[in-house]
Amino acid sequence: MSDTANVEQRRTAGRSVPPTRALALTYRVVLRQLASRGRIIALTALALVSTVAGFALGQTDADLEAGVRLVSGLGFAVIIPVVSLVFGGAAIGDLREDKTLVYLWLRPMDRWPLVVGAFLAALTLTTPITLIPVVAAAVLAGSGGGLVAATVIAGLVAVIAYCAVFTLLGVALRRFIVWGLAYVLIWEGFIALGGAGVARFAIRKYTRSIIVDRTGVDLDLADFSQMTGIIVPLLAGVVALALASWRLARQDID
Amino acid sequence: MTGLPPPEIATLPAPAPGPEPRGMISVNEVSKFFGSVVAVSDVSFAITAGVTALLGPNGAGKSTLFRMMCGLTPPSRGAVQVLGADPRTDRAVRGRLSLVPQQDALFDHLDALQMVTVSARGHGVNDPTAAAVTALAHVELGDVGSKPVGQFSKGMRQRVKVACALVNDPEVLILDEPLTGLDPVQRRNMIALFHRLGDEGRCVLVSSHVLDEVARLGSRLLVIAQGRLIASGDYHDLRGLMDDRPLRIRIGTSDPRRLASALVDQDLITALSLDATHVVVDTNDADAIGRRLAPLARDLNIRLTEVHPLDDDLESVFRYLVEGR
Repeated sequence: MSDTANVEQRRTAGRSVPPTRALALTYRVVLRQLASRGRIIALTALALVSTVAGFALGQTDADLEAGVRLVSGLGFAVIIPVVSLVFGGAAIGDLREDKTLVYLWLRPMDRWPLVVGAFLAALTLTTPITLIPVVAAAVLAGSGGGLVAATVIAGLVAVIAYCAVFTLLGVALRRFIVWGLAYVLIWEGFIALGGAGVARFAIRKYTRSIIVDRTGVDLDLADFSQMTGIIVPLLAGVVALALASWRLARQDID
Repeated sequence: MTGLPPPEIATLPAPAPGPEPRGMISVNEVSKFFGSVVAVSDVSFAITAGVTALLGPNGAGKSTLFRMMCGLTPPSRGAVQVLGADPRTDRAVRGRLSLVPQQDALFDHLDALQMVTVSARGHGVNDPTAAAVTALAHVELGDVGSKPVGQFSKGMRQRVKVACALVNDPEVLILDEPLTGLDPVQRRNMIALFHRLGDEGRCVLVSSHVLDEVARLGSRLLVIAQGRLIASGDYHDLRGLMDDRPLRIRIGTSDPRRLASALVDQDLITALSLDATHVVVDTNDADAIGRRLAPLARDLNIRLTEVHPLDDDLESVFRYLVEGR
């Protein structure tokens, strides 16, 4: 390796990679890793259940509350968290599991662009796969424009927060799917319903609050203002990504 | 990794005296524990430019040592420095070293050029595609096409991993069992490549659990077993130690009883056992057996069908180095 090209390479040796380049590289690599055909088809099929349900509801004389309960109970309780878990957890979790993380970790770059790049890749896939069918469900339910706008806003907040939290889970835990499902189904779906105190630690409480604030329909455990419902989950997402970066810098890599 | 008690250390004769080398890799009293399991125990050495082989049986701690040298895991005790920096915390030094990991992991959906280009981009190489083309040419994968690496043979995947490690023109190259899966021609070419890189002033550290590979890798050797450095020095010294140790040899012959008697008479063996077609002997002088067996068979007018050393493998070498038997 002594030709001109390699002399040029030597000049770059030891130079750190700028965060923007590290982020872009991680984003591209993780996006391609995540975007397997089987995964996308399965998760899209899951998300379309809400669309079908919305269409069915629209064929009846259901009121706004029925539409809100459908979107909240199916879209925000199951579809968005589960799809976010699959993509967010796998964003770094899969790289760690198949031992390819070393090809990104052992490079002269900061850790936070790895985490943020992986998070953005998960977000890129999760957003259209979940929001389009769930918003379509809100439209097809025929409950009015208030529900559609609420679904768009709360949906965006939810995918960002869930993807960030589950990216952290993928960094920190080997069985991120199990722990993620435990959070979604047991904590948010069961324990958080037990009282306002524990519900503060459930993303769903905040997204429900956004929907309630914009539609006026009364749902349990949804008593925050719209602004709180937006800001707190986004802050939680930022904290999760910061923790994931901190953790990634300190953990053992196979 | 092992939970066995620490072995006795049997070191090779020390290298020729000289000034203390300033290692491109310095490992200083390093230990690594996983819970109660000791993976690496109080290991110290320094490696300068050129090719060095790290020899050890599976589970000896080679990969753990390599992971610490790359900063992938911190030592529990002691310190590792690569090019004067801590690879765990110093971001810049990671651009000057490369690792070929033992595990057969690649981004399987990428083709070889894309895979190596990702590696180049990760190192901030100015023209990543050109660097990737050059690196692939070094491992003779220049014309491999656009087939995803997930469809490659084991040997081709190994070579892609080596290309990924070469793409940043590293000063320190750490290769964990890089010859696994390669055919003999590819092994020879790869070893020649390592020597070229070492001759250019790079520090090339190659692990193996196969003694014959190490024989061809280079003269500098570190031997690790049960997490401890049990020998270091010149390969030829290890070879001599092997040749001097007691060996067990199976000899196939048309008349085992007469051959055994003659070997005892000539004081060439220390123990023997017989069956209808073989003599199995213990000897302290394998060279003498080698020299005198054929003339002896000729004089006795018996036929030799096989001469096979039963413990000329790495495990027995380690057993001898560690336990003296």
